[in-house]
Amino acid sequence: MRKLGIVALGAAAALTLAGCASGGEAAPEEGAEIRVWLVGIDTPDAAREYLVETFEEEHPGSTLVIEEQSWDGLVDRLTTSLSGSDSPDVVEVGNTQASAFTSAGAFLDLTEFYDELGGDDLLPGFVEAGSYDDRFYAAPLYSGSRLVFYKKDALAAAGLSVPTTLDEYIANGEALAAANPGKSGIWWPGQDWYNALPYIWENGGEVAVPDGEEWDAQLSGPESVAGLEQVQQVMTNASRAPKDANETSPEVGFCDGTTLQLSAPSWVKWSILAPADAEAPGCPDQEENLGVYALPGIDGGAAQVFAGGSNIGVSAKSTHPELAVDALKIILSDGFQTIYGENGLVPAKLSLADTVGTDEVAQAIAAAAGNAKLTPASPKWADVEAAGILQDLFVKVAQGGDVQALAEAADEEIEAILNR
Amino acid sequence: MTTVDTAGPDLAPGAGEGRRPTPPRPTRASRSRSRRGGLTPYALLTPALIVLALIVGWPLVQLVVTSFQEFGRAQVFGAPPAWVWFENYADVLTDPVFHGVLLRSLAFAAACVVTTMLFGTLVALMMTRLTKFFRILLSIGMLLAWAMPALTATVVWGWMFDTAYGVVNHVLVNWFGLAEYFQHSWLIDPLSFFVVAGLIIVWGAVPFVAFTLYAGLTQVPDEVLEAAQLDGAGGVARFRLIVFPYLKPIFLIVTILQIIWDLRVFTQIFALQDIGGIRALTSTLGVYIYQTSIAGGDFGHGGATAVITAILLMSISVFYIRHLAKEEEL
Repeated sequence: MRKLGIVALGAAAALTLAGCASGGEAAPEEGAEIRVWLVGIDTPDAAREYLVETFEEEHPGSTLVIEEQSWDGLVDRLTTSLSGSDSPDVVEVGNTQASAFTSAGAFLDLTEFYDELGGDDLLPGFVEAGSYDDRFYAAPLYSGSRLVFYKKDALAAAGLSVPTTLDEYIANGEALAAANPGKSGIWWPGQDWYNALPYIWENGGEVAVPDGEEWDAQLSGPESVAGLEQVQQVMTNASRAPKDANETSPEVGFCDGTTLQLSAPSWVKWSILAPADAEAPGCPDQEENLGVYALPGIDGGAAQVFAGGSNIGVSAKSTHPELAVDALKIILSDGFQTIYGENGLVPAKLSLADTVGTDEVAQAIAAAAGNAKLTPASPKWADVEAAGILQDLFVKVAQGGDVQALAEAADEEIEAILNR
Repeated sequence: MTTVDTAGPDLAPGAGEGRRPTPPRPTRASRSRSRRGGLTPYALLTPALIVLALIVGWPLVQLVVTSFQEFGRAQVFGAPPAWVWFENYADVLTDPVFHGVLLRSLAFAAACVVTTMLFGTLVALMMTRLTKFFRILLSIGMLLAWAMPALTATVVWGWMFDTAYGVVNHVLVNWFGLAEYFQHSWLIDPLSFFVVAGLIIVWGAVPFVAFTLYAGLTQVPDEVLEAAQLDGAGGVARFRLIVFPYLKPIFLIVTILQIIWDLRVFTQIFALQDIGGIRALTSTLGVYIYQTSIAGGDFGHGGATAVITAILLMSISVFYIRHLAKEEEL
């Protein structure tokens, strides 16, 4: 009896496994569940509710579930999940990561829906990032430039004013750090490479440029090195942030008073002003004291900052592609996109640009967005990001390493990946 | 049962009228049992083997196949892969980065295994001396440490060693007056990174070793230990000459498990790298394979590295088992 029982157990286990493999497919179109992956906390709650409510209203019986993912390791997770049988239906992806997936055929071809989704009203740079071989795979979701947040009282106490050039900005940071021992005049943890890009670009350098079929990494060129040396100057003289930390939770230092200025995506304003009893607490009492401006360029005006933002596409393996495209249409509708604008992110449509408002943040966003730039447009660029080459480089720069030698080594690694 | 049945009549051959026709019956029974025994084990194993072949064997075959191909992200989504045969292996074996990763992993695993076994043994020995109350208290503490998922443990340890807000720096600066530990980064120097990583791994592994060895220690006969003590053997001599030989099989299996677990360590290193440190200087085999294949989208080279790692792990285990088995014979 006992033996039979064990055999039966084994058989049952095998059957269960077989059941797993065959289940999940061929569910009816009605009563389907659409899974939407949104990344990070950038998308405001109001927008999430709008999406779920509108979708479920338009498709009675079907449900839409938003699954929040983290930016860390996103490329890895998308590679495994989009290729599996349990793929999410709609996924957000960083604009610089999009081409890794559009070129691999991970997304559904959306070319026929281009006009319906917004057509030429969509942010052109992001449409380009989401297209491959003249086909349109991933629509723009939103754009957000980096802004400088600062404590008004600290700047005033040091007798400084909002800087108008990059050199002034660096000098201000150093002066603040010198006047406030133990505090960061410009908070800059070593792994944060996004903030280093404007220094390279403003000095006339590039990360990598196309050279025929190949890519030529330029970090060790004289212009880029001049920028990297400025980065090192800020990291060592103005920043008291850990030299090897990442840039998550910038609000912690700002709220406990150890960060006097920091450069971060525009939505960080809401992290700083989050209620004190929230899951990630902020300091709403600092609202009056929180100032913001666009990073100034080397010759004045706004600097060329990194054009951060996201694209959003439908998985090629989605079991309900029609419903997924419907969800995408809601996401790109004026109603949904307006919520982005009201929360300090640049909407995916040019016609909604004025929803960002006219306050200080909005002006800074407009100034920064007007001069934003992208990372090298190679499908392999996502691999450079995922390999952590730039994080490692700037941790070493923050430690005070020899910039020229570090840049040469990083160039070699970047070229090895881009030209693989 | 069989031996008792057959031995019974043998012991009483003189009891004439007691000769029941029992002796042949057990023989028949045992023969038929052994005949059935010839197939039953296999029949019992089959379902498990099928499941194993499906969930372990098939991916393994796929891994080997992938390692012979040029397999990028496009292939993951359905493009046909090109066969490159041993090119991936040649690339990996001649790559200085891989050599660095391999040496780092071996050295780190060796340090972790030695430390874990040492502390595990000491804790197990201590458990035999403790009163019941403290033994249970210690067991509960260790069970909690053991039950803690590796990722959770790493995040919590990461907070303790945090540069700006960590309790370790706070205590060193404010209680011991070591001002140089103000904002000290524990992860930026690779050696220091591995000390922290090793601490997390050893902390998580000691309970298993301690529990297993403690279970073994309770089986060492007290009389032998007492006799040795009367003969004047000290604690170290008793452990070396009596306890260790008794527990050798347990030491053997636990050490092999530790070697395998520590060589393929992933979670702790991967999570710590995100908290701080320099990835290129701290990657171990598991993390390197992940970075190459899944993050970097180069499944061909990643697969080759994984196959080489698997072969390496197996040969270390086989070498170790044979070495110890030979020692046993002498």
